[in-house]
Amino acid sequence: MSNDVMIYANDLSKTFGTFRALDKINFEVKRGEIVGFLGPNGAGKSTTMRILTCFISPTSGTVRVNGHDVFDAPLQVRECLGYLPQRAPLYLEMSVLEYLRFAAELRNLDADTFRKRAKSVVEVCGLAQVLGREIRQLSHGYRQRVGLAQALIHDPPILILDEPTSDLDPNEKAEFLDYLKQIGQERTVMLSTHNLAEVEASCARAIIVSRGRIVADGPLDDIRAKSGRVRYVVSVQEASGTAGYKGRGEPPKKAEVQSAFGSVSGVKKIDELPTDERAHAFELVSDRDVDLRPDVFRMAADKGWVLLELHRDAQTLEDVFRSLTIGDERRNRQLGAAADGHDEDHGDDDDEADDVPRGGSRDRHEKTASDRS
Amino acid sequence: MRNIWIIARRDLRAQFNSPVAYVVIGGTMFLVGVLFFLIPHVGNAFMGSFWELDRATMDQLFLYLPPLMCLFVVPAVTMRTIAAEKGSGTLELLITMPVRDSDVILGKFIASLSVVLILLAATLLYPIAMFVWPWNLGPLDWPTVWAGYLGCVLFSAAAVAVGMMLSSLTESDVIAFFMTSATLSILYAIGWMAAIIPGAMGDAVEFLSFQTRYQSFARGLIDTRAVLYFLSVATVCILVSFRSLESRKWS
Repeated sequence: MSNDVMIYANDLSKTFGTFRALDKINFEVKRGEIVGFLGPNGAGKSTTMRILTCFISPTSGTVRVNGHDVFDAPLQVRECLGYLPQRAPLYLEMSVLEYLRFAAELRNLDADTFRKRAKSVVEVCGLAQVLGREIRQLSHGYRQRVGLAQALIHDPPILILDEPTSDLDPNEKAEFLDYLKQIGQERTVMLSTHNLAEVEASCARAIIVSRGRIVADGPLDDIRAKSGRVRYVVSVQEASGTAGYKGRGEPPKKAEVQSAFGSVSGVKKIDELPTDERAHAFELVSDRDVDLRPDVFRMAADKGWVLLELHRDAQTLEDVFRSLTIGDERRNRQLGAAADGHDEDHGDDDDEADDVPRGGSRDRHEKTASDRS
Repeated sequence: MRNIWIIARRDLRAQFNSPVAYVVIGGTMFLVGVLFFLIPHVGNAFMGSFWELDRATMDQLFLYLPPLMCLFVVPAVTMRTIAAEKGSGTLELLITMPVRDSDVILGKFIASLSVVLILLAATLLYPIAMFVWPWNLGPLDWPTVWAGYLGCVLFSAAAVAVGMMLSSLTESDVIAFFMTSATLSILYAIGWMAAIIPGAMGDAVEFLSFQTRYQSFARGLIDTRAVLYFLSVATVCILVSFRSLESRKWS
């Protein structure tokens, strides 16, 4: 384990009664990385974070934070962490300044350091206006800022933020993400969220968890590539409308267009998209490594059709996220209680393999497990 | 060690930032006053209220104070210690600071006990007002009074520990209040039953009762067995609270 690995989790499992919240997850986070921890609700994000901050203990597995084991040295682990729990639970009857002072005292900062740190933290989190106010009187957005200020007060090398932007308005979110990038340069930041746009804005790497397992882990581009398919949207003029038909001959029929584009080599799937009566629009799906656009254009030109639109949709993180985790949601809904489904984890996996692309890390994990045995 | 004081100070301030501490202290002072001066001694029907008794004694105070503490002072002071923090989630932030679980428990114990001790100190105003200044109704046997107060302090330590333990077992301060009130009242009231129940059962009840243990102090007697009893109850309850807080890790 190199010195640069700030968070290290190996075969981390956590069960609550019969419910398996985390199932042997493995990951490492290095210094200077900002990692987005993604997953649907109940996937195990908060559980993982609570284990990292030594609030709860793992059922099995090894976790080291900044080289300290969570079992052997929980105090040292907590010293190098700044943690913002979900929904920023703060003492409502304290004023913002009192709260920050309390946090600083528990963090063993002396009065001078506190004054210096408080100044920068207050500026960064935009708290100057509300320093003397009771936390009770603050909006949720401001409470979240106080929570963040509290996590930063001791200048920790590692920040763990559990849904830090959930109560912020769009401006505050953007500001916060900018700030995160700024502080993330010399720090390790792990933030959980189910807002994918935020991850795309601030993180270089994402870990996607679903039902207690890591389904994808890596740089955002790699994850985007996970689904391995590219979408194209093509639309062809169908009738004259006000502009007049500009093609050669008669405007094409729908079936004609569909079969023509379907025959372009590399097209895996063609679906009609809803449009008005002036155009035929289709969605083409191909593998990632081929580019259909020249062929599609050629086809339309040869037939004398009028190409109104042709573009390639980059696979968004959202699509990947949905395709990686949607099977679970569907099943959870079918079974009602989520807990019921979790005992059958292993048996069900095969059924799922068709429609849910597997994450690389899970495969990797299985490999290491078999190596060991 | 330092963390214990930081947590205790915060908790104490929180108690006085909310109306609970003022209501509890003010209400108790008022009730003690009424009971002390106007209501006849319940234990001995032939004894009257303080004025009819016609003796320089604080018996009445030590008779009424402990049941009041059992019924509502201690439950009100301890109900929020851990239950409210669990319920609102603030416990998570507190515990993920670099503090030990034991720091949290001891800090909260000290803070709650301090509120009760402040109340006890306030009740000292009664003997002072009547026997020292501005009135001087006669020579008061001060050593007896101090013994009574020592009993009250030990009694409070045990009661606060019981309250904190019950608070650590639930997430609702209302449940914590009623459980503590019921538990302490039963522990106190079984003292009256001890006389009726014969044999070993009666002895056991007498052994457990807060009341029988406390009575010797009220009469001016410092009984080491009672001192040990109260300290043991406090220690055991603090340990259980500690374990209960720790259990979050494994559940």
